[in-house]
Amino acid sequence: MVQKLALNTYYGDFVRTFGNVLFAVSLFVVWGILTLIGVIVDQGKDPAIYFGSYPAPIARAILRLRFDNIYHSPWYVGIIALILTSLTVCTFKRVIPARLPPLRPVKIDKIPLHASIDVAGDESSVRERVEGFFRSRGWQLRKRAFDGTEWTFADKHNWARRGVLVAHIGFVIIAAGTTLYWARGFSGETVVVTGQSVQIPQTKAILHLNDFAYTITPVLTKGGMVYQPTDYVSHVTVVGNEGVPKPMTVRVNHPIDVDGTLYYQASYGFAMNFTLAHDGKAVPALAQRALLEGQNFDVPGTRLTVSYDRFVPTVDRASGMPSADPRVNNPAVILTVSDAGQPAGSAIVPLHSWVDLGSGWRLVPSHYLLYSGFQYRYDPGIPLVGIGALVLVAGLLISFYFLPARLYARVDPASGGRWTVGLAATTVKGYDMFESQFRGLISEFSSEYAMETP
Amino acid sequence: MNGHLQADELLMIVAIACYVFGALALFAYFFSREAWLRNLGVPLAIVGCVAQFAQLFVRWELTGIWPLLNLYGSLSLFAAMSVAIFIGMAWRYKAWYAGGFVLALAAIALAYGVTWNEGTMPAVPSLQSYWAKIHVPIVVSSYAAFLVAFVFSVIYLIKYYAEARVAATVSTVELAGTGMTMSVRGDTPALATAAANGDRLAQWLETLPPLAQLDVIVYRAVAIGLPLISIGIITGAAWAKEAWGAYWQWDPKETAALCTWIVYLAYMHLHTRGAWRGLRTNWVSVVGFFLVIFTYLGVNIWISGLHSYKM
Repeated sequence: MVQKLALNTYYGDFVRTFGNVLFAVSLFVVWGILTLIGVIVDQGKDPAIYFGSYPAPIARAILRLRFDNIYHSPWYVGIIALILTSLTVCTFKRVIPARLPPLRPVKIDKIPLHASIDVAGDESSVRERVEGFFRSRGWQLRKRAFDGTEWTFADKHNWARRGVLVAHIGFVIIAAGTTLYWARGFSGETVVVTGQSVQIPQTKAILHLNDFAYTITPVLTKGGMVYQPTDYVSHVTVVGNEGVPKPMTVRVNHPIDVDGTLYYQASYGFAMNFTLAHDGKAVPALAQRALLEGQNFDVPGTRLTVSYDRFVPTVDRASGMPSADPRVNNPAVILTVSDAGQPAGSAIVPLHSWVDLGSGWRLVPSHYLLYSGFQYRYDPGIPLVGIGALVLVAGLLISFYFLPARLYARVDPASGGRWTVGLAATTVKGYDMFESQFRGLISEFSSEYAMETP
Repeated sequence: MNGHLQADELLMIVAIACYVFGALALFAYFFSREAWLRNLGVPLAIVGCVAQFAQLFVRWELTGIWPLLNLYGSLSLFAAMSVAIFIGMAWRYKAWYAGGFVLALAAIALAYGVTWNEGTMPAVPSLQSYWAKIHVPIVVSSYAAFLVAFVFSVIYLIKYYAEARVAATVSTVELAGTGMTMSVRGDTPALATAAANGDRLAQWLETLPPLAQLDVIVYRAVAIGLPLISIGIITGAAWAKEAWGAYWQWDPKETAALCTWIVYLAYMHLHTRGAWRGLRTNWVSVVGFFLVIFTYLGVNIWISGLHSYKM
């Protein structure tokens, strides 16, 4: 019994805390601050970059508090979990009861939007006129008797009371869609060199790159020449579940669908074939290997490692330095050589020329091949996320553009065979929103039915 | 090529000139309530707004490139939409007195946008999508609605604090003879008393609508902006899904937009509480707009990411 009471107390405290709007807003603020930290602090970088960008104590704090990967930190996941909990409690304990209030009598004079109008006639005709007035203006009427007094309740946009609920349900559906992706979806990246194929591990689909092309348009602007990329296109042959090769074209913004998995044009680069020779004799293994930018190889029998840093499409003939032109006109590669792990030097080496590595070794960047980078993703949650987004937007539009209002009307006898019609109005967004409309209604009602004051 | 650029620049000059002179007229109207100033400022605002939309259309028609793909074009739409939303709200609420602020901010945005005009540039592959015609105008329009909300919030706060000052002064005068030191802050009858006693500030404050009405206008403006930014984030996510394969990449622009959305969501939640409605929610609206500026310009210019304008 005592345990049950204690549980009830805990439950009550839990509901009070998580159902409190200020608590929910505080969670929003913390969420906002954490998100803003993620905007300002570069995410997913090497620790050395933070020490290079910030004073040491701040860099240490960033790393210890996991602000370098904040969106996957316990703080961020925790605050989202708290917000979802608050959302759920608020929906059932605040939104539904507040938005769908029961029909019950009120103290008309205590409601800020209220009016009393004296109307002549017998009670039934006065009631009929009150009801007719509101019904003709689109108000939905319901009548109830409480302690012998008849009340008329008039509602406008009553259905819109569910708008906030609809918006919250939209969130839940989006959350369900993204959860479905985490549970059953997958994604990855792959790179294919022209003329080569890769197999996607999760689907076993085979992607063969027939060719990749890019278009650069030079534009003379007020600030100088700009080389604007205007097209990236991969022509591929795909073998999916059916086992039939299909030619397809992948462009940015135009992914291809292979058995429900989407493939996106993500990046491109220049793979390079090198000819390594010792005393004039080529090393055959390296000649057959196309290196991607950032890859390296060891020189056999030495402590030397050669890194292919990047491809330079155009070297400025006058300065010998890389130019801004990304079109291939006078290509070269940037190589870095290290000896037993220690940097030994780097150089810009034009294609087909050679670099002497010492001890009879020579390296020639012989020819390049374009490679294309693809991102692939299987996401079974897409329909749910789409539906959730539509529901969320519908809920927001209902909440913001339809103002549910309730009028409370009662008819009481007054002196001289008159009747006093008491009217009060409440809305879900406070009284100021409805003040001018209420004033207009009362004005119209008065002009039609009010008795002239003697 | 030169012909269309001349037409483009001519319309831009007309818009800036209209906004500058319209702002001056409506600022003067804000303080003086001379009807002829309003009658001068409002047509200038309308002509400037029409000139801007015409400029965007002419640019699109003659270059064949959607004009909102750079900061120049998007700031131009931002200014035009700010003025258009303001005109709509001012028409509905008889709120032309706020026009000086809106037009001045629109002129600043436009002038700043002109500094980013690099001429006609073809779109990069990621921007060659029908989503550019949906996502960008929606997001920019939401920012414009928040600008209008910001302006009315500032007027609310000006009135709130000035009214409190007048009320405090009046109560001190009235209570001096009784020996009581109680102050009546924000008391409207005190404002009326001060106005009747010839207090110029109180007389001017009385020409502004009641705080409750200003608060309703701010709410209405946020109620335009919040659904728009929600739809903007959703369409942006859909576009990102199509272009990059993921709805959300925690790109600085995305996350800053999320922050902005959170702030205005907080505004809407706080506005449901009587104790927070008014002064506090209007401060939230002001903070929200500074975040809008950070999201719109700060992130694009200072922080590199998928939405960066830096070459």
